Amino acid sequence: MSEKKFIMGNEAIGRAARAAGARAMFGYPITPSSEILHFWSGEAGSEQGKKDNLVFTQAEDEAAAGFMLIGSVLVGTRAFTATGGPGHVIMQDAFAMAEAMRFPIVAIVMQRGGPSTSTVVYSQSEVTLACFGGNGNGYRIVYSPASIQELYDYTIKVFNTAWKYRFPTMLLSDGYLGKMMDEVELYDPAERGIVMEPAEPYSQGQVRTRPLAAIVPSPELDARVVDGVEYACFRNCLNFEEEALAVNMETKTAFDAVAPEIIEYEEYGDKDASTLIIAHGIVSASVKQAIDNLKEKGVFARLFRPITLNPFPAEQLRTSAKNAKRIFVAESAVGQLGKLAAHALCGTVSVPIVEYSRPSIGILPKEIEALVMQPA
Amino acid sequence: MSKHYKIVVCGEGGQGVLSIAKIIATAAWLQGRKAIYLPNFTTEKRGGVSMAFAQIGDEPIRFPRFEKADLCVALSQRALERLLPFFKDGTVVIVNSMLVKDLSGIEQWKPYRVDATTIAKEQLKKPRTFNMVIMGAMLKCIPGLSVEGFDGALKKQFDSKYKKDPTLKDLNEKAFRIGYELIS
Amino acid sequence: MADIIHNANPAADSVASAFPKCVRVESKPHLYCPGCGHPEVLKALGLAIDDLGIQRRVVFGIDIGCSLLAWNYFNLDTVETHHGRTIPTMVGVKRSKPESVAVAYVGDGGAYAIGAGSLLNAAVRNENILVIVVNNALYAMTGGQESPTTLPGMKVATAPYGADQYFIRAPEVIRSVNSTAFVARGITTVLPALRALLKSALQHQMDGKGFAFVEVLAQCPLNWGTMGDPKATIDFLEREMTKEFPVKRY
Repeated sequence: MSEKKFIMGNEAIGRAARAAGARAMFGYPITPSSEILHFWSGEAGSEQGKKDNLVFTQAEDEAAAGFMLIGSVLVGTRAFTATGGPGHVIMQDAFAMAEAMRFPIVAIVMQRGGPSTSTVVYSQSEVTLACFGGNGNGYRIVYSPASIQELYDYTIKVFNTAWKYRFPTMLLSDGYLGKMMDEVELYDPAERGIVMEPAEPYSQGQVRTRPLAAIVPSPELDARVVDGVEYACFRNCLNFEEEALAVNMETKTAFDAVAPEIIEYEEYGDKDASTLIIAHGIVSASVKQAIDNLKEKGVFARLFRPITLNPFPAEQLRTSAKNAKRIFVAESAVGQLGKLAAHALCGTVSVPIVEYSRPSIGILPKEIEALVMQPA
Repeated sequence: MSKHYKIVVCGEGGQGVLSIAKIIATAAWLQGRKAIYLPNFTTEKRGGVSMAFAQIGDEPIRFPRFEKADLCVALSQRALERLLPFFKDGTVVIVNSMLVKDLSGIEQWKPYRVDATTIAKEQLKKPRTFNMVIMGAMLKCIPGLSVEGFDGALKKQFDSKYKKDPTLKDLNEKAFRIGYELIS
Repeated sequence: MADIIHNANPAADSVASAFPKCVRVESKPHLYCPGCGHPEVLKALGLAIDDLGIQRRVVFGIDIGCSLLAWNYFNLDTVETHHGRTIPTMVGVKRSKPESVAVAYVGDGGAYAIGAGSLLNAAVRNENILVIVVNNALYAMTGGQESPTTLPGMKVATAPYGADQYFIRAPEVIRSVNSTAFVARGITTVLPALRALLKSALQHQMDGKGFAFVEVLAQCPLNWGTMGDPKATIDFLEREMTKEFPVKRY
């Protein structure tokens, strides 16, 4: 049943969500993510979509889309949203609430130029916002795919990660990948042995394999049983600093415990190469091309690519950077991946970390090659 | 590293810039080649300058953008200016001669002047075949793609449209061949 | 005590002193200020839920502000949120689980200022949810600031010299964008009528008829400066507020 198609990245995301058994999507149009809405509204309105009880709602704004998503997840729905740029900013309100209550919302974020409205297609400027955008001490999982095939693979994965670990989970990509067309192998996750995590209700459900108390931070939950029926109240507003501390620490402990299982990264190139380039997403694809091109000239370099930006593969990066004589961070932003890398490497490397920051513009293989070729 | 044939199409929003690059890439893929396509446009649906990138090759293509192009297609005068940074030795240049009048800066590239607007309007009586004329001209320049293969790809691409209007198929193929023959 | 409550005569006239069955008795006394209108609205809602026997089906969304103090009032599936987002949250619930009964409980600030876009568009899309807006003509929990329903000349924390002449009559607005919605305005001082209104509004949702909207005029003695003077409180509610906000079905 798997088949190869030449399609747009945003369509690959929509098809993957469908293959993953997602049932609902809530969103607000914004370039470069709108085709995901178009795809899903088409699916939801089709005969098969109606049979599958698919839900699509175009919200009045991104905050509303985010909160509709929360409502949907609350009653046990594998649901998602898609946004980017200024819409991503607005949606942080909902992400923060999902962080507090450990709601496994899934958000596809397609970065565009910034700050503000800016350009409509490309940047890597929303890394900090995606990873740490709430109003405090929240935890979310952020994946950065690097090809259209990965858009498909990781869209399936984000649903499972979200529901398995019960943290808001994001696929952070960009308009290059979303608007690009490339060959993608579409498949049913079951064929690959991928079992989808069940979407258990937080509200309006009496049967749970995991009790709510094992997931939701204790001050956020008041679950009471009356005549054998459990009524769950999710609190958002706390009275005491101690309660907020408890929420923060319980969330942190839970995140720290599962982070090692979630962390993903990739290394590419000659493992003895003394030049290390750190990049993520589509820029890492450019770096790989540059590494191949340089190799033909007898010059060697290697890539460290965090696939999860949060949790960040800090330990793995430290190992990778240990013997590097030169370290570059290349990103289509200023100091976002750079800060994550510097924080991970702080005190463990003796060579400078050189940031190649090209905010809101694509980085060509040629530029990476020039970077590596410049005298040390 | 430059195993992939690199194409940039640039023009005014609404001229079909994205479609041209998209169809070329899709058609190449349908012929068994590796292909990748990337649009780049401004916020205006009409009136801005649109640019689209396509690469065609035999190995998977990692990154959708590039520095220099093998083929540049300019559909308007200001689009040509945007394309200049992509020119290198041997870049093939096709211009829509109805709108690109001033070729003084690029004479050394010996640009092909294709008056696709007039051909579509007067010869074919269907202004919408403009794109097909341009694509025909482009195809002549792209190595490894055949006219027959492209016809097949178009048939797949426009299957539903062709069923609705069977004359469209002949018209498209005719427009395409006119464009193809213009390039020597 | 629980037995007495459960056996209370549910007839409209005699329930004034009885708690609804879906109320969480342990939460008494409630968290509201003495004389507040919220407990009256909640009681009427609880009675309506009892009347329809839908305690297990309700998802009760409560908005930030004094609405939030309802968090432990009921034995109902409850979720707190803020800034009028309660409305889209309930939209997400209802769209995903149509057999649930989704109730958004919001103040006039949440519904008509920061959440106005959500309220209006839920009505435009004819979302099959019930939105209850408690209108006390100001922001109460945050300290009595001006809201979109603050009446002309009212002196409030952010309009110390008196509010201007403009304010919103929301049921009228909702009706203008949705001709089939259930739209009504009630008042806390006529509880049986409010109970009947809320019951009809819930029934509207359960019948799949789309958007239901009930604004309830409610007193806020603390921020009205009438604490300890029930007569002045009720006078303002029943005379001043009803002048601009007619109590009726639309």
